[in-house]
Amino acid sequence: MAVLIELKDVSKTFTLESGTELKVLDGISLTVHEDEVVALLGPSGSGKSTCLRILSGLIPANSGSVLVRGKKLQGMNPDVALVFQSFALFPWETVYQNIALALKRSELSSSEVKARVRKVIDLVGLEGFEEAYPRELSGGMKQRVGIARALVMEKPLLLLDEPCSALDILTADTLRTEMMKIFLSQKTKTRSMVLVTHHIQEAVFMASRIFVMGANPGHIRKEIINDLPYPRDDQSMSFRRMVSQLYAWITETLMPDAPISGEAISLKPRQKEGPIQPLPNIQIIEMIGLLEAIADDGGKADIFELAHGTGKDFGRTLYLVKAAELLELVDTPKQSVILTDLGRSFVAGDMNVRKRMLHELFGSLQIVQMTSQLLSKTQALRIPIQELTERVGEWLPNENPHQMVEVLISWGRFSEYFGYSDDTKEVYLDVGQETI
Amino acid sequence: MKKKASFLKGPFSFSDGILVLVTATIIYGVFSIANESQSDFHPATQIDLSVWRLPYYTLLSAVRGTVAYFISLIFTFIVGYLMARFRLAERWMLPLLDIFQSIPVLGFLPGLILGLVAFFPKTNTGLELAAILMIFTGQVWNMTFSYYASLKSLPRDLDEASRVLGFGIKDRLLHLELPYSAVNLAWNSLLSMAGGWFFLIPCEAMTLGDKEYRLPGIGAYMDVAISQKNPLAIGMAVIAMLILIIAMDFVVWRPVLSWVRRYRLDESISARVDEPLMRVWLRESPMLRLMKLFLRRFFGRLKRPRMKISVKKFFFGKKILDFLNHLGTRCTGVFQVLGILCLGALLVGMSFKAYYLFMLLIRIPGASWLALWVDAAWTLFRVFLVLVIATAMSVPLGIWIGTSAKRVRIAQPIIQVLASFPAPMLYPLVLGLLFALSVPFSWASVILMLLGVQWYVLFNVLAGAMSISQTLNDAAWLMDFSRWDRWKFLYFPSIFPSLATAWITAAGGAWNASVVSEYLSYQGHVLQTRGLGAKLSSATVSGDFSLFAASLVLIVFIVFSLNRWVWSKIYAITQRRYRIEL
Repeated sequence: MAVLIELKDVSKTFTLESGTELKVLDGISLTVHEDEVVALLGPSGSGKSTCLRILSGLIPANSGSVLVRGKKLQGMNPDVALVFQSFALFPWETVYQNIALALKRSELSSSEVKARVRKVIDLVGLEGFEEAYPRELSGGMKQRVGIARALVMEKPLLLLDEPCSALDILTADTLRTEMMKIFLSQKTKTRSMVLVTHHIQEAVFMASRIFVMGANPGHIRKEIINDLPYPRDDQSMSFRRMVSQLYAWITETLMPDAPISGEAISLKPRQKEGPIQPLPNIQIIEMIGLLEAIADDGGKADIFELAHGTGKDFGRTLYLVKAAELLELVDTPKQSVILTDLGRSFVAGDMNVRKRMLHELFGSLQIVQMTSQLLSKTQALRIPIQELTERVGEWLPNENPHQMVEVLISWGRFSEYFGYSDDTKEVYLDVGQETI
Repeated sequence: MKKKASFLKGPFSFSDGILVLVTATIIYGVFSIANESQSDFHPATQIDLSVWRLPYYTLLSAVRGTVAYFISLIFTFIVGYLMARFRLAERWMLPLLDIFQSIPVLGFLPGLILGLVAFFPKTNTGLELAAILMIFTGQVWNMTFSYYASLKSLPRDLDEASRVLGFGIKDRLLHLELPYSAVNLAWNSLLSMAGGWFFLIPCEAMTLGDKEYRLPGIGAYMDVAISQKNPLAIGMAVIAMLILIIAMDFVVWRPVLSWVRRYRLDESISARVDEPLMRVWLRESPMLRLMKLFLRRFFGRLKRPRMKISVKKFFFGKKILDFLNHLGTRCTGVFQVLGILCLGALLVGMSFKAYYLFMLLIRIPGASWLALWVDAAWTLFRVFLVLVIATAMSVPLGIWIGTSAKRVRIAQPIIQVLASFPAPMLYPLVLGLLFALSVPFSWASVILMLLGVQWYVLFNVLAGAMSISQTLNDAAWLMDFSRWDRWKFLYFPSIFPSLATAWITAAGGAWNASVVSEYLSYQGHVLQTRGLGAKLSSATVSGDFSLFAASLVLIVFIVFSLNRWVWSKIYAITQRRYRIEL
């Protein structure tokens, strides 16, 4: 099979406004051949969109090489068309013009342009909408225009950047099926597609090869061959088996079993050993919602069913479980999530009890202890947020320090541990708690 | 109803008549200006105060303002693009523009007049160009800043899409950059036009030392009418100016502002807005439709894309064509070299100027500097007073109008016209009134300043009040806020960001207006009060270049520093604290 594009040991670092450098991609190597659909699957922050932009030539890689048909890529990749998550339609042009704009650089006569645009409009089912402006269309129809605009360029490689995540579930399902139908019908010049997604079913439905990506910095964890025959039926047993295998594998790598279960856990803060644990980027209130959902299921739940039942996507649910595990409110043997004794009393308590418990548990985390040490060394028990960000950057060199401080403040506010004043831009120790 | 429709659909209609009239006026005006500028050099044109000459003068001024506007537009496209595209240009030109922006129009006068008149000694072209360029300096800056800001804030996904689709410079401009900046640019054009009219009198009637320069136009007409104490002529000039502004509003700005609405980015389909009459006429004119049809036939036959390519290939050959295309797509380096060369030339030119300026400035004795600083303090005090009064007047009025759709519909067009009217033309009338009330001139000049500046505040407050969130308003009603609480917790915080913008523009405007409101001729004699603006004006009139340079440098220094270290800080705070995200 001919190779369309190849990434060799590609890395990418962005410089944040504050001057800190953030590595978003590390040592990515992947090859896209003709006649395949490759999916990049990963949680947010795993650099999958950045990876796609490097494939398209929109941003250059810092190191490693990008080869298009064996030649080193410079500037834009002439072989690709791109479908955007946000559609990226020009609001001042009609549907027809938006599609025809993609042929501006071709040397086609106006009648050829017309013929080609008509063909893709027919293909994606936009007849009758030629003269409409994007603002008059629903999300699904807008993305059809986005797809038509990419198809009309007749490029061998079609890049899809979370094409369905801005759409509701039903519309997304329909569009996904139709995209595959068009691709498999071979009515277009598209030879291969690269799909970026955080949606496991979507990856299994469309892709023949799935690269599972991990975060901080983004890297490829595993390559999975998906040889279910096309067209795929997402209700079939084999499809479901594939999905749950993928789930299991992701859970295993993201949440290695830690032996905490069983023992009675004291409420006393204690120093933990080993590397500092970063805080998952979630809201405490969401995590409480998850704990309540587990309690409703009798204190034990399967993580996939949990994701399904709470209507959150799998990656998000995983982070919530991780947060609860960090606070020792749940235990996670294999794929199930079990409330610990602590977790049970937490769910049973009222808001005041919960807050007091959170205050203790949160205070036992290593990053929190280090932060409060930093704060209590100062006279006024407060430091500028900029300073804290720098320190957090030193403690957790692989994380985005701004985001980590944001999470730290958000958790700290909830458990009445830290406060933050946007007026003075200072983080302070919440000492009001001690008087209760 | 039916009768009207058939009337509009006839072969030639009322709207055609209007269009022909407008076109003929424009053509006549352009020819007149060309004619005037080609005539033998006569620096001080005799102005005929007869009412019948007034339409001609008004037309000439209108053409000057329009030509200046188009120069501003071209300047804006080039400079705005360079600043947004190239780091180097941005770093050097942004502060430079900031400085230029704080120079009052009068500050450009000596250089332009002396330079251009020397360049065209035989004809009046130099003088005409000087007047047009001075109007240009009153118009251009906010347009350039607006275009630059738009280009810097292009939505990321559209930018990426245009790159993936392989847009060249031309397609990017036509389908992304121009449409995206159109709305802001149109509103700023409206403001710019008003800014240009403000200094019409000193642009058309200038005194530089012992020389007088006068050009046929409504500004010069006003100047002569004032110095000859002719109340009828003054009144007529005011009416003529008002008619000009209403006509421009009707023929140009309303259709333009309504047309650019299609380029707004927000996705919502807003409620139907009334279409301006001029647009209806343009659309329904049978003559225009015929012309369009004819043009399309004619050019449709000429313009075959295939032929265009083969013609190009015939002239250049494939290799050269490829090379040119290659150059077109990756000419960043060439552009940068050109940019550096231009900057270099500019810097050399400026260092000469700076040397010249330095030589002028060292002639000023220390005591005069001290006096200038005292003058500056006076003007600063007046500017501050003007801002306080303008805010106290405009905030309640703006909120009262802005919170009712009906009041907005009635008031906005009126405010739009009044704000465009150059306040200096009203000075004689207002002064007469104030002197009748025995207000001393040093206080009267505050009122004069206020006349020109309050519109900025009202305009912005109105815009802020119109964007007060409906949900918050509903919430305030549900919670049964007292009147005071509604003002305190809803209205004031909502308009604060627009108020900050208003203060920045109004303060700049007030400093500029000080030049014409602290020193002016009234009933044949000169009125002047202590102030930096008065110093600048009197230095111009007496031809004292050292004093001129010193007061100019001081004004620029103060306005620039205030912008940098006071206004921008306030602006940043309001943007952070009072931005509404729903």
